[in-house]
Amino acid sequence: MADSAVKIKKSRHRFNKNIYGYIFTAPFIIGFLLFSLYPLLYTFYLSITDMTMMKKSYEIVGLDNFTKLFSDKFFIQALKNTWKIWLLNFIPQIGIAMLLAVWFTSQRLKIKLVGFWRTIYYLPNLLMPATIAILFFNLFSLYGPVNQFTVRAGILNEAIDFFRSNGWTQSILIFVQWWMWFGATLIILMAGMTSISATYYEAAMVDGANAWQMFRKITLPLLKPVLVYTLVTSLVGGMQMFDIPYMLTDGRGSPNGSIMTLNVLMYMKFSSNKGHIGAAASVGVMIFIITCTASLLVFKVLQERRDANPKKVIKRTVREGKHELCS
Amino acid sequence: MKKTIALVLACLMLVGLITGCTKTTPAQSSEVESNTNSSTEEKNFSGTLKLWSFTDEVKTMVLAFEEQYPDVKVEYTMIPMTNGEFQTKLKSALQTGEVPDVVSLEAAFVREYIESDFLADVSDLLPLAKELGTYQFTIDIATYEGQTKAFSYQATPGAMFYRRSLAKEYFGTDDPAAIQELVSDMTKFEAAAKTIKEKSNGNTYMLCSTGDFANLFFANRQTPWVVDDKLVIDPKIDQLFETAKSFRQNGYEAQATQWQEGWFAGMNDSLVDAKGNPKKVFSYLLPTWGLPYVLMPNGAPKVVKAENTGKDSTVGIDTTGDWACINGPMPYQWGGTWIGAMKDSKNLELAKEFIKFSTLNADTLKKWALGVYTNEYLKKINPSVGDTLAQGAGDFVSSQKVVEEIVSEFDNAATSKFLAGQNSYKGFAAAAPTISLKLIQASDDAIQRSLNDPLSNYAAGKASKQEAIQQFKDAVKNALPDIIVE
Amino acid sequence: MSYAVRTKLLRVLVYSILILLLAMCVLPIWMLLVNATRSTAEIQQGISLIPSNNMINNWKNLTGRGFDIMKGFLNSSVIAISITIITVYFSLMFAYAIHVYDFAYKKFLYGFVLVLVMVPTQVAIIGFFRYMAALKLTNSYIPLILPAIAAPASIFFAKQYLESVIVKDLIDAARIDGCSEITIFHKIMLPISKPGAFTMGIFAFVGAWNNFFTPFILISKMDKYTLPMLVQTLRGDTYRTEYGSIYLGLALSIIPIIIVYTIFSKYIVSGISMGAVKE
Repeated sequence: MADSAVKIKKSRHRFNKNIYGYIFTAPFIIGFLLFSLYPLLYTFYLSITDMTMMKKSYEIVGLDNFTKLFSDKFFIQALKNTWKIWLLNFIPQIGIAMLLAVWFTSQRLKIKLVGFWRTIYYLPNLLMPATIAILFFNLFSLYGPVNQFTVRAGILNEAIDFFRSNGWTQSILIFVQWWMWFGATLIILMAGMTSISATYYEAAMVDGANAWQMFRKITLPLLKPVLVYTLVTSLVGGMQMFDIPYMLTDGRGSPNGSIMTLNVLMYMKFSSNKGHIGAAASVGVMIFIITCTASLLVFKVLQERRDANPKKVIKRTVREGKHELCS
Repeated sequence: MKKTIALVLACLMLVGLITGCTKTTPAQSSEVESNTNSSTEEKNFSGTLKLWSFTDEVKTMVLAFEEQYPDVKVEYTMIPMTNGEFQTKLKSALQTGEVPDVVSLEAAFVREYIESDFLADVSDLLPLAKELGTYQFTIDIATYEGQTKAFSYQATPGAMFYRRSLAKEYFGTDDPAAIQELVSDMTKFEAAAKTIKEKSNGNTYMLCSTGDFANLFFANRQTPWVVDDKLVIDPKIDQLFETAKSFRQNGYEAQATQWQEGWFAGMNDSLVDAKGNPKKVFSYLLPTWGLPYVLMPNGAPKVVKAENTGKDSTVGIDTTGDWACINGPMPYQWGGTWIGAMKDSKNLELAKEFIKFSTLNADTLKKWALGVYTNEYLKKINPSVGDTLAQGAGDFVSSQKVVEEIVSEFDNAATSKFLAGQNSYKGFAAAAPTISLKLIQASDDAIQRSLNDPLSNYAAGKASKQEAIQQFKDAVKNALPDIIVE
Repeated sequence: MSYAVRTKLLRVLVYSILILLLAMCVLPIWMLLVNATRSTAEIQQGISLIPSNNMINNWKNLTGRGFDIMKGFLNSSVIAISITIITVYFSLMFAYAIHVYDFAYKKFLYGFVLVLVMVPTQVAIIGFFRYMAALKLTNSYIPLILPAIAAPASIFFAKQYLESVIVKDLIDAARIDGCSEITIFHKIMLPISKPGAFTMGIFAFVGAWNNFFTPFILISKMDKYTLPMLVQTLRGDTYRTEYGSIYLGLALSIIPIIIVYTIFSKYIVSGISMGAVKE
């Protein structure tokens, strides 16, 4: 009897307390419903209408906007561009960031002024994309500093009209994206690496593991959550890339739509002569579907094996290491 | 072919007539409205007028308007046209109903608004326009279904400006009539380009950019871009493709882009290739406003502070007096600003008054054209205006009556000095009445912009004609989902 | 070759790469700053890494054409600071709830937030625009600021951080002392998570400060333009070939961030590291 009374009291106490779980999460839920979910659903709805900004009335046209998207080459081109630009900037970005992170945390190299280097490398990420786009547009213009320098120094015979060449324009965009983000990725990776307890490495060293083995068997597995996080956020950001490609050339991805990303295409529809809201919304819906599918896939593939029990990992590392040494 | 075109045109006219008829009822009712309002015309205007524009130009008008009506305050909002920002912002504003009272509309997009139902009908100002002899094409462009919705203070016939010294060097004469004879059609124009290239060993270009002549071809089409919701490609576009290719492949143009560095550098002979070799440009195809706004400010040397020594030096030369103005290979029209009032304006009468003052007032137009609105003048009205705001003399105004009155004033003006005594105003006055803009449609700007990339691909040899046309069609489909492209 | 020699050689290689990357990061920015002090003609003449003396002229030219940068700063500051505060506060609150309380749907809710990290939010901009236009809020900062309440990425970070700093015993001790849950959150949890909050705040601030897309779609009044929107106008016809002025405008847009960063960089970098330390 008394026992159950205590239980009731306890559970009521817990209930009282736990109601704060709802209270504290309520602002998020309300904010999400009002500012994310509703606009998203509304965008889906708009994508099946022929709404424009120059007319007050509109009609529901079913999947017309989507059929039209696929009937000209622009959407497919924008899709290809977006993936290409993202992949070609993400791979070197994570590669160089990883390399630098390993160097900076290396006990062997003992790099000096780690804070200084990191600070400088992170700087481009803080700058306004608008500023960066216009800066690089000016640097690479036909009569701009890059051409002045390369031609006068004899590196090139003739000035390159960068922004009339598809390949160059894409390369500049990829470089700028890489330039802006490798420092940020570096810091995230380093934070992940320094959080790995030194004891694992010490244990591994005692067992005679070399640097590469330690990286493969300790650093990488333990860094996986951080890596997945970086990959997914970069993917989501990359699929929505807009600022730099929009401002680097004429806002329509020139030349020849070579830097027309999906978001630029969406804005082109939105800002077209009539302001085609319906068509723009259909591009938005496609970006949504593509990005969600891709990031879910990433999660499925990379999160499957969660055997990051450090002790086991070390043991296995050492065993394999010894095995390698023996054979 | 000609027959079908004629048939199409006849059908179009018929459609125009029918729709014109059906719309007479609302037009009449609005006339009645304006009649009832006309009693208020005499009263002193007061209040606040919200005006949106895309340059500082109209600000001068605004200040003059405020001088005339001291009780009126105009809130001037300038949104640049870069990447169509002004148009997008204006459309956004239409969505919320928080519209300005008066808007400036550029030639590229004025038609979109004329065909929408956001602008107020200001047809009741037409008698005033008749009195002033406002050039018909400036009214045609702003009239849809019998309603005139905007007026312009400018008329913008196009011309060709060339360098006299270079003409003497390559053609043995700098006489405008003789040079005009040498470039009187596109074939001759191209032949002249060839002569210049050969005689200068490729150091002088006929034009700075192929973009210069696109307008000429657009202006001389026989069919509009869109007939019965279908895209029609006029034979002139084919010619444009071929001419652009020839100019690019043969090195008749400097490969610059309009409104960019190299394009301006050609105007004061400071154009150099990346190796530092000097290059010259023979001519520019510019309209009326190109002379006072583009050529004259950029035809002068620019001061450079030499690095390290701190001494001043200059790049480029003063080209004043070395230019001449002729009609060029084809008549055309380029640009212009129209002023309209929003239907939802809370201050419609005042907005109309502004349209009247800025576009249909002989006194204003005269002052505008003759350069009365100097920075000093404007500062007297409002001391807080910037140091650069001013309206220099030489803009070509929309009223034939005013133009005829003032044309002789330009015999000794700065513009004429720039052209070695030639009165360009006279030439424009002769060209303006012949311009027709009947083909203009709301979708023109989007379609012509869709042509940019395919055209330069074809010119550069990156795409075959068929590929380029296909690229063009795809671009049109993308930009204008409601147009049928076959 | 001995281990020590190899290490030395490797070090030389590493340092040269570091210096190369340093040049890549700094040179464009330095050139931007230098060109802001040079005249247009000088810029056209060639590259220089030594400042000139034309800044005042550039400034006159820039401001004479309606480039109201102070207004841009003010507008961007108002938005970015509000977003920072809201993001940090509500994200910590949400993460705290997930971490400390036991309630129905808790797992689902957090899982949902994680999924939201993967959801592209900008794509709903068209619907958002129409929605805000209907509410006549397009020229207000409310639609730019309030959505910061629901910031999934921040919550993700906050949750990770709280896991490492919140000791449940401390909360229980506070409860025994009679503190209410709200007091515990404000008086105990917030101070403990300051370093994490600082890091989150920096990311939220930078994101908001640099955000171009949403305000660009929503704001149409020039005097409400944010800094990136103003900077974007530098590409327009207004400045055409006034390179000196363009560079000056660009420089002004980044100098404050560079100054703030030089002062706080230590806190920023160490804050990020702290945030990631678990156990």
